[in-house]
Amino acid sequence: MAAIELDGLTKHYGDVVAVDGLDLTVEEGEIFGFLGPNGAGKSTTIDILLDFVRPTGGSAAVLGHDAQRESMAVRRRIGVLPDAYHVYDRLTGRQHMEFVVDSKDVEADVEAILERVRVLEAADRKAGGYSKGMRQRLVLAMALVGDPDLLILDEPSTGLDPNGARQMRDIIRAENDRGTTVFFSSHIMEQVEAICDRVAIINRGRLVAVDSIEGLRDATETTTTLTVTVSGVDDDVVATIRAHEDVTSASLAGDQLAVTLGPDGSKFGVLQAIDAAGATVEDFSLDESSLEDLFVEYTTPGQAAEPGESQTQAVDPTAADPTATDSTGGDR
Amino acid sequence: MSWTAVAKKDFRDAVQSRALWALLAVFVVLSVVLSYSYAEFPTLVGGTEQATVGGLVFFTSGIVSLFVSLTAIVVCYKAIAGERELGSIKLMLALPHSRLDVFVGKLVGRTGVLSLALAVGLVVGLGVGSALLGSFEPVPLVLFLFVTLLFAVVYVTIVVSISATTGSTSRATTGALGFFLLFELLWDVVPLGVVYVANGLSLPAQMPDWTFPLMQLPPSSAYVLSLNALLPDLADAAPGGATAAGFDAFYARPELGFVVLAFWLVVPLAVGSYRFANADL
Repeated sequence: MAAIELDGLTKHYGDVVAVDGLDLTVEEGEIFGFLGPNGAGKSTTIDILLDFVRPTGGSAAVLGHDAQRESMAVRRRIGVLPDAYHVYDRLTGRQHMEFVVDSKDVEADVEAILERVRVLEAADRKAGGYSKGMRQRLVLAMALVGDPDLLILDEPSTGLDPNGARQMRDIIRAENDRGTTVFFSSHIMEQVEAICDRVAIINRGRLVAVDSIEGLRDATETTTTLTVTVSGVDDDVVATIRAHEDVTSASLAGDQLAVTLGPDGSKFGVLQAIDAAGATVEDFSLDESSLEDLFVEYTTPGQAAEPGESQTQAVDPTAADPTATDSTGGDR
Repeated sequence: MSWTAVAKKDFRDAVQSRALWALLAVFVVLSVVLSYSYAEFPTLVGGTEQATVGGLVFFTSGIVSLFVSLTAIVVCYKAIAGERELGSIKLMLALPHSRLDVFVGKLVGRTGVLSLALAVGLVVGLGVGSALLGSFEPVPLVLFLFVTLLFAVVYVTIVVSISATTGSTSRATTGALGFFLLFELLWDVVPLGVVYVANGLSLPAQMPDWTFPLMQLPPSSAYVLSLNALLPDLADAAPGGATAAGFDAFYARPELGFVVLAFWLVVPLAVGSYRFANADL
């Protein structure tokens, strides 16, 4: 059984399309990253999973339960760190935790969980006086109550310093080791890259790519560019390099030879080939497009999203077309 | 039964409202002053020779209904709209609560807060009054407390329901104040206007009988009428208790007060919970 199953999920707000026919399956036990720029429809999708918002088309199932009709069954088994939430300013951290324990009707060691997220020393202070990072950790603690089968975390690193973000990742990993499926959204590739088994990229309410981190990385390697500072290069040498089996293109500008490599192309092999053709390699630099570049490429309008001969399942190339859907509204 | 968790959380939260305790302080001072002046100068302020506990009850019911309605608005207008606007409702509804659980929990929690404040105010005010009168009559006091509590529940339901229809606190404020303005301040004009139009744009010498139930539509009028129903002897003897219709008809009996209160309990509850259950947060 899938932890999350979206089937043609669609949400319109009047004329605005926030989520546009999303199909997605998150397996049990994975750490799944849900990536997209602000306003891509991530929060709307999560809001539908929690039945904060009702879809206008398609369906969503969480842990085998329909997210709308059986929302109570869903929410008994999940822990949630929502986006754009607000704590109860007049209640203490401990009272927040007690509310969750009462609501889920479970036994939980509140102190131990607060200790784990490092808010225990502030447990009896009113949450209104907490810093942004402390509030984020408190709400994470609330999500952990009752050992949920699925954690849904919407932009979990918001408001955390690098140290806090690392602790957040450690907790996510520890929960995952315990068997919990983790589904989290982010607009920053770096956070997703560090921890996720698989990633979905969405833009303008549509799925652009779903793959493992390795799969995405394979896709990006197709655009490796080697810039070599050379001397003694003439057109024959350039032609020789261009004909090399690993090279997709080569061009000379002054003493800079720019070589683009195909998938799995050997950079060392190309350098040797330049040398063998009679030119001297004085220096070289590598411009390997990162996952961040891939993300930008997928989600920036105007730039064609053609990941080449990749294994990545490019779901719908028109998604990057700025005329496809005009507006996705805010991050609801 | 998960509304109990919501009610407990909500009570803990709303009971810390500073505006609530400021209003209570004003209410306590006012009710003590009123009790004192009624007990000391019954002829002057009450228009009766003999000051009684029953008279005191009706004499204070006006200020009580004002306190209950204003406090209900202050304590409840943000109950749901405020949580939606801020986003704290996401913490609550990420937990296994149905929207109806949240709605009922809010009603119970806020009623608890209002009842607590009301109890403090009434015990002080009526206690001072009873002491000054030198007599203590438990039956009218208990009946008075019962009707007043019912009235508080009704007002909380009205304001929480208004709050449940919107995700914006400014709209909730407009709705709650609009309700108060229309039904508690301006309502006297409404039957008059209806009669004026029905009578061919002129006023008859005597208001027709059917305007009586219309006059009782505001919750506070229904509250006083309900007091009349439970304490008829006192109502006859007391000033300000004279809302009896002066004619016989099934719709002119004081029990109509309870019917109107029931109306204000059921209709807002139905509308508010329906709107909330179907809203995108």
